Amino acid sequence: MDIATEDLGGEITKVTLRGRLDTTGAVQLELPFNRLATEQRKVLVDLSSVSFLASYGIRVLLVGAKIVDGKNGKLVLSCPAPSVAKVLKTAGIDQVIPIFDSESTAIAALK
Amino acid sequence: MSTSDVSRLVLRNHLAELRRLAVWVERWTQEGVSPNVSFALQLCLEEAVANVIMYGATDGEFKIAIELERLGGTLVARIEDNGQPFDPTQVAPHPLPSTLKDAKIGDLGIHLVRSFASRMDYERRHGRNRLTLRFEEQVGPAP
Repeated sequence: MDIATEDLGGEITKVTLRGRLDTTGAVQLELPFNRLATEQRKVLVDLSSVSFLASYGIRVLLVGAKIVDGKNGKLVLSCPAPSVAKVLKTAGIDQVIPIFDSESTAIAALK
Repeated sequence: MSTSDVSRLVLRNHLAELRRLAVWVERWTQEGVSPNVSFALQLCLEEAVANVIMYGATDGEFKIAIELERLGGTLVARIEDNGQPFDPTQVAPHPLPSTLKDAKIGDLGIHLVRSFASRMDYERRHGRNRLTLRFEEQVGPAP
């Protein structure tokens, strides 16, 4: 599981995740992702390179979203692959964290 | 792959073993399994085995045996362990969140297994948990 960050301007931080967000990958991601969520107020999480998502991965995304929300910030998800999007929808995450099919709409939602 | 092939993997109850499971399942599904069923199988095995590893501990180490078998258009996965008795079919349905503040952290694994497997059966026999998951493969056009 790789994590990369990019400053998109306008206080927006793009977080690109790559690899399998399974239990092992999510355990690796948990601390750096929580730290990012604590430090940033507008977070775009690019899921386009995530090939697999399990419940522990959802937990990490949800905790991050709650941390950002607690500071009156916003965390959104963008471009999940169809299988990953299906897991998010099945878990009801699409009802509580905005998910966008393109990066431009995700950025617009953060402005 | 013949229709009577049974593949078997034995894991120890350590979270690091989940990576071995993922590689093994991915390899098994490379031949003749649709991407959707392959994903569902990988997800359900990951969740079910992670549950056993995280919550099944008694006093130290125990083994988890996983079998995969193809029976016609159905893929059957059996997970057997001698950890604490645990029947996931009896777990109450997971309430889906309506707001971010109300969203519960955790307890999603069994909900995902219920949703992605076609069927889930449990039995406790000879001091062992045995969970059987079934996945229906769509019948494709004749070659």
